Amino acid sequence: MKKYVLVRILRSLFSLVVVTSLAFAMVYTLVPRMRIFKTDGTWSKLSSDRDAQMSYENSTYEKIGYIDFIEQKDICALLYEDKSGTGYSSCMQAGNAEVVSFVEEYEAKGYTSGVYEKNGLVWMTREIPLASRIVDWFSNILWLDGPNRIQDANNPDLERGYYLGETSTGSPALMCSGCEYKYQVYVNGSFPFIHQNVLNVNFGTSYPTYANTPVLDVFTQSQGESVRTEQLMPNGTTQSSSLDLETCKYKYTLDNLDVNKFNDNYADCTTVRQDPSMLSVSAIMGILSLILSYGIALPVGNLMARKKGKLADKIGMAYIIFIIAVPFLAYIYAFKYVGNVFFGLPDKFPSLGALNWKSYVLPIISLSLPSIGSTMMWIRRYMIDQSTQDYVKFAKSKGLSQKEIFNNHIMRNAIIPIAQGIPSSIVSVISGALITEAVYAVPGMGKMLPDSISAFNNPIVITLTFIFTGVSIFALLAGDLLITVIDPRISLADNGGRK
Amino acid sequence: MEDNKFEFVTIDAEASEHISAPVYSYWKSVLRTFLKSKFAVFMLIVAIFITVFSLIQPMFSGYSAADAPYINDFSRRFIAPCAEHPFGTDHIGNSLFDAVWAACGTSLKLSTVVTAINMVIGIAVGAIWGYSKKVDIVMMEVYNIFANIPYTLFLIIMMYVLGQGTKQMIFAMTCTGWLGIAYFIRVQVMIIRDREYNLASKCLGTPTSRMVTKNILPYMVSVIMTLVSREIPAVIGNEITLSYLSIGLPATVASIGKMVYTYTPYMNGYPYLFWIPVTVLGLVSVSLYVVGQTLADASDPRTHR
Repeated sequence: MKKYVLVRILRSLFSLVVVTSLAFAMVYTLVPRMRIFKTDGTWSKLSSDRDAQMSYENSTYEKIGYIDFIEQKDICALLYEDKSGTGYSSCMQAGNAEVVSFVEEYEAKGYTSGVYEKNGLVWMTREIPLASRIVDWFSNILWLDGPNRIQDANNPDLERGYYLGETSTGSPALMCSGCEYKYQVYVNGSFPFIHQNVLNVNFGTSYPTYANTPVLDVFTQSQGESVRTEQLMPNGTTQSSSLDLETCKYKYTLDNLDVNKFNDNYADCTTVRQDPSMLSVSAIMGILSLILSYGIALPVGNLMARKKGKLADKIGMAYIIFIIAVPFLAYIYAFKYVGNVFFGLPDKFPSLGALNWKSYVLPIISLSLPSIGSTMMWIRRYMIDQSTQDYVKFAKSKGLSQKEIFNNHIMRNAIIPIAQGIPSSIVSVISGALITEAVYAVPGMGKMLPDSISAFNNPIVITLTFIFTGVSIFALLAGDLLITVIDPRISLADNGGRK
Repeated sequence: MEDNKFEFVTIDAEASEHISAPVYSYWKSVLRTFLKSKFAVFMLIVAIFITVFSLIQPMFSGYSAADAPYINDFSRRFIAPCAEHPFGTDHIGNSLFDAVWAACGTSLKLSTVVTAINMVIGIAVGAIWGYSKKVDIVMMEVYNIFANIPYTLFLIIMMYVLGQGTKQMIFAMTCTGWLGIAYFIRVQVMIIRDREYNLASKCLGTPTSRMVTKNILPYMVSVIMTLVSREIPAVIGNEITLSYLSIGLPATVASIGKMVYTYTPYMNGYPYLFWIPVTVLGLVSVSLYVVGQTLADASDPRTHR
């Protein structure tokens, strides 16, 4: 069994890697590269100056990882470290001999070079092969923080090592100097209570929407209005601030505002905002809609099986046909209209905001409508199949009532295949969330996908593919393991018996 | 008693071969069982009516999603359903009646093409997959990799990569759409494969291709019908979703998804703009689904009594 689970996990990881690589390859080769600038204001402002625009384009491509990009100023900075010296300024002349030989050397390495029209300065680019980008993406997903991570030439005396301290609210924390994050492990009052920054996840940088924010932060940071509280700052002053001091990262160049608050370089902190993050909004809605759909589908399916062929069964079947045959989008809109007009619930999530429970009602019910239908159908079929078994006849002959037999005997056996279906309902909730969140304008991860597609935000598209595929693959694995727990007769491993 | 009052009767070889039980014809029995369900017959009439109408009406109306001939005629905007405009007119003065039938035709054509491609590939691959153990090993790996991805996610990514267009959409939907069908067929084939009559057939040296086409596929008519009746509404629904996210059909093609997207802002002021297209489409999918399901039940020989 252990071996089986191990093999399954490896396989799941393998298919996750294959799917993400395929998506990566397709998105970065088939979607025209220029499209990312379609919604970029800075790029269109530069359109009068083709040189500046090209420089901006190439440095953006470099940031996203399409190309290596070197300009004359980078070459000269490499050759002469002192930027105020005469060597550097003569190097920055158009057609400088040193630069020309440097360019020739790099052209041999596969770079293509060009000259800016206006000032005659040189630039060079080189395509980064797709395969190495995919390998890079996967190898950078997980990284360990450590005291030697920060290498700052301007701060050579940075102390390196771990020490015990406390957070701004006085709870214990393991802190670090020289690491990327100041607080490595800390305790606070919010879920999951013990937080760590030792092992971190990196999905790249978002562009052009949420420009230059790490993709993971886009999903996990709180949204909406910032919340200010009186806080004790690291330099000893008490200020009204919305910074979350436990998330502070090393900042290479400090500005005046930072110096007023911090006594060291750990000044790059996230802001506390009032609304939950995209990840938590999607998670809350997904979990609640799963609970709701099973809470309704199990008793209703049970009732349908018990009253087979009668009115309750027919109404249930009509609902199932409706759910299967009518397009999802059509009945979601119809439902939204009914909920809005007759029950006064908001038809758009932001109109009451994430802090009002009413905002969640319609999206959650809409999400669970399809899975209620399919679960009802399966539970009815399994229970009807079970109801002709010998143990049912035996229970009947003992004089148990119909209700007792269905609730205590048949349900137990029919629940086994249903339990296996729970993870695939998680998958369908993900699919549903892609549309539901767009319809209700819910600021969650599902809505992020269509949004980032219309903004040509490739890094987010790839990351969402990775996350959603990962969740579904492991949900299905969990489903198979769940049934072995519920029903010990089932063995997933092939014990060499008859096939 | 005179002998001439009697005559000799010859033994009629033909009559003795005659079977007095009514002749069993598979397709006649399917038809008879199908006609028993009044609801399904009604839905069949609805489906035929809508299909024929949505294929013929756009030829006469000359409606094209690409142009808006009445965009400057303000008196033609937002006319509620009346005799002249049975479904009313929209925000650019186009008759909703024409638009709905054109869009409905698009949905039907698309779902027919996609379902046909998926079913043909799915059944062909599934039959071989279920029959050959070597193919099974390879195909199970392929299936395990792709079946776990949420299909909507896959479609969205594919359309993003390929760009808008009818051909692109057909490709995206058929790219892995057959995989689920093939897997379903595989399981059914495996169940039938090991039955005694197939073992006997194998002993007599029947080639695999003949066993698949003659021994196994006929048993699957009912299964295939069930799959078709589920596939068609699913394709229609996916088209709507993709067009709604504006990564579906191009702007020049009439589509219900785009209509839903365009008319949603007018839902409170002019609700007919939203409800009529959705109702017509719901009627199409439900009627096709019910007809398909009833046909599937009717084509199962066990229901022929």
